[in-house]
Amino acid sequence: MTTPAIPDARVIGGEWIHRDGDHATLTITKCHNCGSTWFPPRDVCSSCASADTEETTTADHGIAYASTVVRIGPAAFRPPYVLAYVDISDVRVLAHVDALEALPPGTPVTLRVGPIGADENGEFSSYLVAETAGGAR
Amino acid sequence: MRPVFVAGAAVHPFGKHPDLPAAELGYRAVQDLIARTGVAPEQVDTGFGGSTYGGSLLAQRVLQRVGVSGQPVFTVENACASGASAVHLGWQAIAAGTADCVIAFGTENLSAFGGGTLPLTTADLEIDQGMVMPAAYAMRAQRYLHDFGATVDDLTRVSVKNRRNGAANPRAHFQREVSPDDVEQSRPIADPLRLLHCCPNSDGAAAVLLCSEDFAKDLPTARVRMRASVVRSGRFHTSFRDMTWPDITERTAQAAYDVAGIGPADLDLVELHDAFSVAELLHAEALGIADRGQAFKAVAAGDFDRDGRVAVSPSGGLLSRGHPVGATGVTQICEAYWQLTGEAAELQVPGAEVALTHVTGGGIFGVDNGACAVHILTTT
Ligand SMILES: [Zn+2]
Repeated sequence: MTTPAIPDARVIGGEWIHRDGDHATLTITKCHNCGSTWFPPRDVCSSCASADTEETTTADHGIAYASTVVRIGPAAFRPPYVLAYVDISDVRVLAHVDALEALPPGTPVTLRVGPIGADENGEFSSYLVAETAGGAR
Repeated sequence: MRPVFVAGAAVHPFGKHPDLPAAELGYRAVQDLIARTGVAPEQVDTGFGGSTYGGSLLAQRVLQRVGVSGQPVFTVENACASGASAVHLGWQAIAAGTADCVIAFGTENLSAFGGGTLPLTTADLEIDQGMVMPAAYAMRAQRYLHDFGATVDDLTRVSVKNRRNGAANPRAHFQREVSPDDVEQSRPIADPLRLLHCCPNSDGAAAVLLCSEDFAKDLPTARVRMRASVVRSGRFHTSFRDMTWPDITERTAQAAYDVAGIGPADLDLVELHDAFSVAELLHAEALGIADRGQAFKAVAAGDFDRDGRVAVSPSGGLLSRGHPVGATGVTQICEAYWQLTGEAAELQVPGAEVALTHVTGGGIFGVDNGACAVHILTTT
């Protein structure tokens, strides 16, 4: 069972995140007119401008397309931090990675919610990924 | 469309100029341009000034100081392609016959932002997740190395070549060669990129005079023909994309080749947007001057050296000149102008007759870049 999206200012993108036990999934938009998929979700397709769209939910796992360790970056994200582009259910999402090194391309990952940084009000969270235990499912 | 000519170029040297705001740098470049060409203010039909961080009415604040006021004047913002977009609008005016003489310039002061990575001001989802420009290029680099069997040494070779070129450029921010060791020992920025794989944030300005053929005949300066001027925006989507293939560069270059009737094999030199060393590999392939996945071999073989098959960034590129965002696209055209008029001094590419300039940038999510501009210039 998935819970409703998380309406919390301390969760970046929380309105599109669903917790599923230890895992998470994301709300995306599928266009019935041209087949495009979108994250973040939207009312009107940004390819064909059709409003014939549907909100759906991603899987809780995907594949790292590319990754890096950011060593010089905004203090709020506490560099060094690891980022990856993750391909998941026909969308590509930028996410923090719970790791010390960059993920090799093709690494299977699982989505969950966790802290990604801190500001004057304390830690803030978002969706993030970690290498899937035991490899691809 | 009427033929368009470049009949003058001027650059305020790039570097750290914390006490010179963008408008002052722009004024100095434009004043130099007017001194070189002898154009009177009332002869200028319209003006375009490119800048990303220079603020409202920048073009007026620059041009009114040299007597160009009252005419239509526009400030153009298109991220890294701001200056080249200003040139493009000037090209449109000359080509359409609505102007005979245009000043186009680009200017930027980045010292105002202090050190570190440039602020991304476009507030989007990826910036909220900690995206910075070096991270985007670092991931492109990781994927390029993975897909084509290149190594970090191949990225380093680009830095070494372009810094060698820039060592002879009096307008460059860095006028010193670096060794492969220097690059490998430099500070890590975003794996696999190190500091010397990244262009510096710089302050500077550049200006060109665009005009019709008749107007050019009365000027004391040499002229070159602007065969193509093309701007494209990024194609927006959030599904999978091949980050080793900057399609915005391919689309912009292809349109420019079509307009000019010139192909990549005809080019003697390219001034390319090497904001990061990996960018030279990606864009060289998308421009068609190297086969897919082969640009790193072309660099290693010396194909892109000043005396190679096609000189890539003989001025030193962004890696040497620095990157005052809005000024970069205009300074590339200035460097190409001096190459084609034989005024490039120590930077001269022997026998240069055909040049292409390429600038692309803008880190907004959902596109490979926000805006790209390609110009093709020839001696006749
Ligand atoms: Zn659609």
